[in-house]
Amino acid sequence: MKNTNLLTAKILLLFVIIFFSCSKDKDNTDNNVDGFDRSTMLTFIADDIILPSYAGFKIKLDAMTEKSNDFTTNPTSGTLSAFRQAWVEAYTEWQKVELFDVGPAERHTLRNFFNIYPTTIHSTTTINGTNNGIIENIASGNANLNLPSNYTAQGFPALDYLLNGIGEGDDAILAEYTTSTDANAKLAYVNKIVDQMNSKFNQTYNEWTAGYRDQFVSKTSLDIYSSTSLLINGFVLNYERYIRSGKIGIPSGAMSSNPTAYPSDVEAFYKKDLSRTLAITAHQASVDFFNGKSVKTGVEGNSIKTYLDAIEAKDLKSGKPLADTLNGQFKAIATAMNGLNPDLETEVRTNNQAMIAVYSKLQTATRMLKVDMTSAMSITITYTDNDGD
Amino acid sequence: MKTYFERTVSAAPLAVFRIGLGFMLLFGLIRFWSKGWIEDLYINPKYYFPFYGFEFIVPLGNYTYLLFAVCGLSALFFALGLFYRLTSISLFLSFTYIELIDKSTYLNHYYFISMICLLMIFLPAHAFFSIDAKINKNLHSGYVPGWTLDSIKLFVSMLYFFAAIAKINSDWLLHAQPLKIWLIARNDMPLIGFLFNYKWTPYLFSWFGFLYDLTIPFLLWNKKTRLSAYAAVIVFHLLTSLLFPIGMFPYIMIVTTLIFFSEDFHLKLLSRFNKLFKGSEEFISTTNKCSFKQLNQKVIIGVFALFFFVQIVLPFRYLLYPGKLFWTEEGFRFSWRVMLIEKSGYAEFKVIDAISGKWVIVNNHEFLTKLQEKMMATQPDMILQYAHILRNHYEKNGFEKPQVFVDSYVTLNGRLGRVLVDPNIDLASEVESFNHKSWILSYND
Repeated sequence: MKNTNLLTAKILLLFVIIFFSCSKDKDNTDNNVDGFDRSTMLTFIADDIILPSYAGFKIKLDAMTEKSNDFTTNPTSGTLSAFRQAWVEAYTEWQKVELFDVGPAERHTLRNFFNIYPTTIHSTTTINGTNNGIIENIASGNANLNLPSNYTAQGFPALDYLLNGIGEGDDAILAEYTTSTDANAKLAYVNKIVDQMNSKFNQTYNEWTAGYRDQFVSKTSLDIYSSTSLLINGFVLNYERYIRSGKIGIPSGAMSSNPTAYPSDVEAFYKKDLSRTLAITAHQASVDFFNGKSVKTGVEGNSIKTYLDAIEAKDLKSGKPLADTLNGQFKAIATAMNGLNPDLETEVRTNNQAMIAVYSKLQTATRMLKVDMTSAMSITITYTDNDGD
Repeated sequence: MKTYFERTVSAAPLAVFRIGLGFMLLFGLIRFWSKGWIEDLYINPKYYFPFYGFEFIVPLGNYTYLLFAVCGLSALFFALGLFYRLTSISLFLSFTYIELIDKSTYLNHYYFISMICLLMIFLPAHAFFSIDAKINKNLHSGYVPGWTLDSIKLFVSMLYFFAAIAKINSDWLLHAQPLKIWLIARNDMPLIGFLFNYKWTPYLFSWFGFLYDLTIPFLLWNKKTRLSAYAAVIVFHLLTSLLFPIGMFPYIMIVTTLIFFSEDFHLKLLSRFNKLFKGSEEFISTTNKCSFKQLNQKVIIGVFALFFFVQIVLPFRYLLYPGKLFWTEEGFRFSWRVMLIEKSGYAEFKVIDAISGKWVIVNNHEFLTKLQEKMMATQPDMILQYAHILRNHYEKNGFEKPQVFVDSYVTLNGRLGRVLVDPNIDLASEVESFNHKSWILSYND
């Protein structure tokens, strides 16, 4: 037994040496012990970011619903323009909640009922005996908006067409809802879309407040079913597929050579001057979420950034914190986005190089979020495709 | 030397090992099956990544279930010592076939099991406490050549020892990577989770892991230290199974290292089972000696010498390649490099038709499973294989001369990600070989 004891003693001695040689670092660690407490982080994200964002969106959605009702009961140029304005505000506010693809929002696939574009005006594909496009749905009067084939015939993109694209100019648009033979069917479809948005959103929001919030805060591990993993996965997926590809990559033709670009695939195509605002808003929402900017107070709290800093996610070589590197890239993207034409369709047609430049900056950030950030946090990216469909 | 090969030892340790290994494997296969992994890993994928030189190993579709059934039954018969020669061969072949289907499922401990099964084919593990020995009185022996038992111990020792050598690098010892990343992710664990919030914890774990791997074979081999060493085995492996999703491996090692215990220990264990199953006293106390025919023994020792030579050389083959091993992974597999790197990557492929100029960005999801994509994105040989899959696919789909380029980005042990593969190289025209892949960008640390 003598040998064992000697060896054990040596090992113990070594551990003690290591312990003391590193123990001065321990004090630094204790100061921001909150930083890597995922429970604190999840609580802040739920109470200061996600729930207030949902509450903010609800206000805008309610306002839009009211204006929509005004319009459908009495379609005039006044109610049309009020409805449009409320639609712009709600669509913009939506960009601040689309990224929370976790819990009820993920379960009910909330995005599918709000923002899948380009919208389908008229469908040539027949699924189960019906064609699902806005025109077909208006004609049938009994479209089932829960069907995946109807995702592109509802939500903000469908309202974009119905409010801004159904006729040439305001008079022609108004005529569609007043003198046209199927005016009532169209008004009914507007109501149907708005009802669907309300029902889907309220379901998600209610579930969040009625129990999911507590569950969200309590699942602190990092396996694939944990809140942090699901939240980050949804966040990165939104960033890659719905901001990088959807808003910039696909319209600019960065994804394929045939045809070279799809300018009509921009978000809010019929409104013309809203697409840049939506892209900037969505990107800023992602940045604010990353930095943990409270929606209630505007002050930064426990977030991905503080977590990354607490676990000392930094380049082993240069020592530069990963969060700083990412924020630098976010800043470059915001600047580049601000330089784009407010109508991204025009930008694609006239100055697509600028769009491609934004795309590659987004691509750089995507890689850092998807590879550096998730690896540092030890999160498994549970989805892996990056098509941008 | 001659006397060493003539020495005999109790057949009990080898018999216990046979039973333990067989049942562990059976359990492992049932677990694999019940989790639906056969379908996920070997039936659902559209494409596979065979090992270089083993391209003839093809997926079997629904017959994969049959393959697993054969493997499971072999493991059971192997444990029972029934038709041992035949079932040890079928166990080795079926298990190895499964592991060779797709690189993305490669794990060091699967390789370990394959190699152990290969050795077991030649060893008289069925001479004692087996159904074969019950039926065949000539086979039934209480003693086997000592070198047969030692060869298993040697192989197990090599696994630990090489795992320790692999840890001698600055990431592991000086930066406590990748444990620094992995441990803090478990800081919400009950009882011990808070420990991972301290900076010194990953260093402690890294050094403990290194010293454990380095010394455990010797401490197990030495009678005086064996008991405390085995306690360390249990603590170490249970801890790793709590902390990391590494499946059956900890339990397999806990059972495997029993082989270092004394003859008495194994005999007592077996006689308890013997009483339980009401076996005759003679079944457990035979003094017959199992020996190989002169020529057979010479051949087998020759084969084993070659086997161990290969096993010793293989982990060092990486020295023949330029560049940083963890980055290029040239000569990384089959070398007991366990839990050494946190690597994550992103690989976006662009296929260009050299004739018409049309191009497309590939949606990896259309070709690969999540696991395959994850594995492919960080391993150059898999990136090349996938590029060829894409080349062949687009050749059939309207691209006259497809060229394949990759935009890759990989992070290694907490360093900021960087480009892994030269984005200007047409991978469609590169060929796989054991030569260095010059298109892997160098890593200057």
